[in-house]
Order: sequence, then structure tokens, then C-alpha cells
Amino acid sequence: MIHLTLSNISKEYGSTTVVQDFNLEVEKGEFVSFLGPSGCGKTTTLRMVAGFEIPTTGTITMDGLDITKNAPNQRNVGMIFQAYALFPNMTVAQNIGFGLQIRRESKSVIKQRVEEMLALIRLEQHADKYPFQLSGGQQQRVALARALANQPQVLLLDEPLSALDAKIRVQLRAEIRAIQRKTGITAIFVTHDQEEALSISDRVVVMYEGKMEQVGTPFEIYNFPQTAFVANFVGTLNTAAAEVTDPSKGLISIDGIQIESAEDLKDKQNGDKVNIAIRPERFSFASDGKKANVMDCRIENITFLGSVVRIRVSIGDTKFNMDTFNNPFLELPKIGDTSQVTCSREAVLVLKN
Amino acid sequence: MKRSGVVWSWFWMILGILYFFLPLVATFLFSLRAKLGILSFLAYQQLFTDDDFIKGFSFSVLWGVLTIIVGILIFVPTAYWVRLRLPQFRTAVEFITLLPFVVPAIVFVFGLVRTFSHPPFLIVDSPALLVAGYTVLSMPYMYRAIDTGLRAIDVRTLTEAAQSLGADWATILFRIILPNIRVAILSGAFLSFAIVMGEYILAQYLAKPAFAPFLAFLIQQKAYEPAAATVVSFALTWACMGIINLFGRGRGQAPIAGGH
Repeated sequence: MIHLTLSNISKEYGSTTVVQDFNLEVEKGEFVSFLGPSGCGKTTTLRMVAGFEIPTTGTITMDGLDITKNAPNQRNVGMIFQAYALFPNMTVAQNIGFGLQIRRESKSVIKQRVEEMLALIRLEQHADKYPFQLSGGQQQRVALARALANQPQVLLLDEPLSALDAKIRVQLRAEIRAIQRKTGITAIFVTHDQEEALSISDRVVVMYEGKMEQVGTPFEIYNFPQTAFVANFVGTLNTAAAEVTDPSKGLISIDGIQIESAEDLKDKQNGDKVNIAIRPERFSFASDGKKANVMDCRIENITFLGSVVRIRVSIGDTKFNMDTFNNPFLELPKIGDTSQVTCSREAVLVLKN
Repeated sequence: MKRSGVVWSWFWMILGILYFFLPLVATFLFSLRAKLGILSFLAYQQLFTDDDFIKGFSFSVLWGVLTIIVGILIFVPTAYWVRLRLPQFRTAVEFITLLPFVVPAIVFVFGLVRTFSHPPFLIVDSPALLVAGYTVLSMPYMYRAIDTGLRAIDVRTLTEAAQSLGADWATILFRIILPNIRVAILSGAFLSFAIVMGEYILAQYLAKPAFAPFLAFLIQQKAYEPAAATVVSFALTWACMGIINLFGRGRGQAPIAGGH
């Protein structure tokens, strides 16, 4: 069931276009992330859903009702901010109960709901503390409880984890997702962190310079990036300029080195310039006897990243990263050695632009 | 080297303390000499039983409180709105709030008298004009104190958080903004109060029975009571300062914790 629809949304400030022709349908209970670098319009789009900004053109409908121009306090949305935004003058319990108080719920209803929420975020023993007495992660959990206490139709999260340190960030990410699943609430999550977006979402909207670059499941976005921007922004990726040499066989040349791609190149001509992309983990050292896509290379650098070892190789004039899983018996080449690497035909992605 | 630095800091501090406190101590001692040959509180006794003193003092207290209320009602929403929605006007508004420092009070009061002493604004006799004038005079302190308080909290995010929870403007102002800048408002309020208690020109030229004109009159008439009144007004100002500090400490860092 479609719950939230953004159609033809654009936002201009004077002559600058911040968001351009944004179209999205969000299912009830779906977790959607807006992913992109700062200034890509992701936060502005979220703020338009919240009602803090009014779109220049386009409409936003929730459950079939047009809410494009409703004031923020006239829409039933819960908002989580990067800066937590807990009310410093109120205790945890008062913060959580604030929205219910505004709605003039009875004291007993508020008390019961606040207790439910505190249990949900596992902070029962902190009910009477003030925000400044809590850690960042705890404050953000209270903010989550405060937003959910009102039973909003949509939960909007604006970079909620960016102010937290790495470990808490990963924990809270899982917790947010678990609570979202449990409550079945529709959620939109804004982030510039691709790992965060991929790990938490049902669907990811990748944005760049105010436009939607690609919409898809994390699996699709990672494995089948459609534009050079998505390919580069999501995960680590090797991109290279190449030339089509035989469209019917999928042959491509990088600096004169022939490789084969599994992609359909029928609409291309001999000599067409294309951009190709290969994920670092799709490369491996060529074992004896393998023939397809075997490339001579020189080892440029080796970086130890814990679970993964990243080896920088040059193939012709182009440098590629190659990732290989770490294990204690790994025999690594030396910098300056020559070797051969290979990748499957499917690993060679031809980008649309 | 370091030791002599410490010695010099003490020297300057003691010099400063003497400079400020010697006249006050002298005044206090003088005020105790109303009875020949012995120290007594006779001057204070006479002062506190003087009807004009009680009248002037209580009028000034009343107007001081009214000034604070009017000031809060005008300056809190203004400073809040400028911070939230009109940041481009901040410099202009700050300039306006400093005008009472630029325009001498005597010029200001004649402006008030000229403007409001004939129709359609015949309100020169009304205490409202005095309170309005005091509100203008206290503006630099009040507005700046409030603005500083607002700077310490994340006004925009707190407003948006409250809005998304369904709050309207009145709720946001009274339940979120005001409590979080309480300390700043209090310090502005007590400064305003101190100004009203010591203000002479406005009350004198608008012919209102306030504390300062009474004090000026007293100095011309008597010897020991003015000294006693001075000590009383100092004590009052210090009490205000003490209360500011007391409230400021109240709940630790809570009021300034703000967004981050």
C-alpha cells in the first residue's frame, strides 16, 4: 500500500535549484534512505515532508491527502535531528510526554505511553534525568521515543547518527531499525554515509546535485550502479575510461588491454568511449590456466585494513584497487612485483554516463 | 618572576577594592553618625518612617516590575523571531537596541514630553508613559541578555522539534524557549530593575514620585539620611546581583545544555 507520495517535487531558493523533479512512492512500513553528499538536497527533501520547507512545485500526499502546504504541527510526522533537540528544561519522561500533552491526552494515558516508550528504548531507570545527564546515544534514543510517542504516520530521521562515535553509531543503527520493524512505522532516513544507508534500508535513493540518481534496494544500488556517481559514491569502486572494440562480443579496451564484459553493448559502436567500473573485491590473482580477463599488473601498494587487504595495482596506465580477504596464511606479493589479476565478465560494469 | 607577578596582581586587586569600597564604607560610617558622639541607626529609622521615602521607593519598585514584564513580553518574542526567521536584520536590531546609549536621557525625555503632551497622544501624565520610557532605557540590557540566552540554545532545532510534536507558537515560546533562557531573562530583569531604581531624569521631568528624585531632594534637605538611602540602594542592587547568581547556579548546566 502506498503511504507517502512525493510527485514532481522541486525546491528553489532564488535562482538556485536545490531539489529537482523528485518523484517517490513509499510503501507503508517501508524504510527508505536518502543518500548523497552534503548539498545534494536530501535534507531539504526531508524537510519538505516534515513541513519545514514548502516545495516550489509538486505535491506531497500522505494516505491520499495532500499535505504539501500543511504547517509542521498540522502533520502527524515524527522528526529526529542530528543535534538530538531534546528540551533541556524537561526530564526524559517529560520530553517523551510532550507531544501527548500538546494533544491534551489524560495524565494516565501519558504516563502509560511514556512507560511503554521508555521500555522500548530500554531507559526506564533514566526517566527523571535531564538530557544533559545522558550520553549522546541515550539522548538520541530519547528523541526517538519522543517522536514515536505520538504514534506519527511517518518517522523522519535527519542524519541522526552523525554526532555519535563509531561504535554507538552502529549499535543505535541496528536499534533504530529493530524499533522501526517492531512498530511498523514508515521511515525516511537521511544520511551521507553509504554503509549506513545500505545496512539499514529497504530502499535507497541516491541523490546528487538535487537530482535522484538511482532508486533501488541496497543490493541493486551496490551491485548494479547505473551512473558513475552512484558507482563512485556507494562503496569503493575502480572506474576507468575505456573504448568499445567489439560490441557483439562485449569486448572493451582499457589503454589497449582487452577485457570482456557481460553487459549488453548492442547499442554501442566500435570506438565508442565508455566508463567502466569494477568493484575491488571482484579482482583476484590469476591462477594458472585461466584465460579470460587476465591482465598483467604491477603491485603499487599494499594496505592492511583488518578483515581485508587492499592491494593497489597498475594495469597499463590505469591504477586499480583489489581487495582480498585477510587470513593468517595469506602470501602477499611485494611492492614492485609483477603479477597477473583477473575478474569475471560479470564484474565489468559499463556505466550509463 | 612568577612570584612578583602574583604580588603585583594582589597589589592591583587590593587597590581596586579600596577604590570601590572606601567611599562606600565612608558613606556607611557617616550614615551612622546621626546621633552626636555615638554610632546609631537613627538615620535609617528616620528614613524608613519618612512617608515620601516609602512612597518613592514603592512606586519605583512597582514601575520596575512593570518595566520587566513589558520588556519580557516585547523583547523575548522579538529576539526569538529575529534569531529564527530574520537573521539578516540582526545587525539592524542590535543597533536599535543600543540607541538609548547614544541618545542622552534628557533629549529622550523632552522628546517624550513634546510628542505625548498634546492630542492625539495626551498621555504625558499617565504612568504608562514612564513605564514605556523605562522599557526603552532598559532595552540594551534586556535585549542583549535575552539574545545571549538564545545563543546558548539551539533555537531553530528546538523550535522544529516542538513543531513536529504539534506545538503552536505560544506553546513553543512559553514552554520551550522561556524556560531555557530563564537565567538570561532574570539577569536582564534585575539589571532593568536596578536601572529603574536609580533613574532620575525620566521620573523628574515626567514629574513622577520615584526613588531617585526623592533621593536628590533629600540630599538638599538633610545630612545623614541621604547617606543612609545611598547605602540602602547599594544593598538593593547587590541583592539583585546575588539573586542573579543564585538562580544562575540553580540547576547546574541544564539551562545552557541546548541542542548539543
